[in-house]
Amino acid sequence: MDIFQTTAEPGIVILTLSGKLDAETTPQFAEVINGTIDRGERRIILDMSALDYVSSVGLRALILGAKRLTPLGGRMVLSGPQDRILKLLEISGFTSIFTITATRDEAAEKLR
Amino acid sequence: MSSLSAVLRNDRSEILRMAALAEQFGAEAQLPEEDVMTLNLVLDEIVANVIENAYEDTGEHEILVSLTRDGDTLTVRVEDDGRAFDPLQVAPPDLDLPIEERPVGGLGIHIVRSVMDAVDYQRRDGRNILTMRKTIGRT
Repeated sequence: MDIFQTTAEPGIVILTLSGKLDAETTPQFAEVINGTIDRGERRIILDMSALDYVSSVGLRALILGAKRLTPLGGRMVLSGPQDRILKLLEISGFTSIFTITATRDEAAEKLR
Repeated sequence: MSSLSAVLRNDRSEILRMAALAEQFGAEAQLPEEDVMTLNLVLDEIVANVIENAYEDTGEHEILVSLTRDGDTLTVRVEDDGRAFDPLQVAPPDLDLPIEERPVGGLGIHIVRSVMDAVDYQRRDGRNILTMRKTIGRT
């Protein structure tokens, strides 16, 4: 898995995930999310458009990230998940705990 | 009809090997991409659960996995000799809880039951046998 980190605008960081978020890659993802929060970032966009696969281990890491961020007043928006991943997010009840948008721009708009 | 049978050991490294087998089976059985993902997801959840929770000893055990495509039906069968565990008895997670109260785990079985059309559990001769079916191409 590759994770690119960019700043959309001051105060909003974008993590672009590509490949698979599974048992093998989730520790790397968790490290990046935790590092981002530790650095003081509070508004995070996870660009999922190039993500092909998420297992429940990956979903756990998303919940853990949100659980850390929420009490700090932060928010995480998931942008551009492919249809089959969006379906998985729906099955897992993530639509009520995460804002999910079609594009990065919409995600940034939600975080302004 | 296409089928694949594999014997996995109760070792976490086997999860990667299984993912490769699922991809290989998906290609040979000409499964649509969505069904390859579903297959990966189901195997990830079920086999990881067996490896992590089924055994009370530290010895080596075999987990038998078979994948079959017969017409438009995909069947996944996982058999292990671990402690009795019927995933159909697991209560579904409460998906309306706010993030603060949302448990971190417990989604795996729920996901499997949601993405497959039928899940059947049997305990036979000291073995757990989980058989899951799905119509190929149904989203």
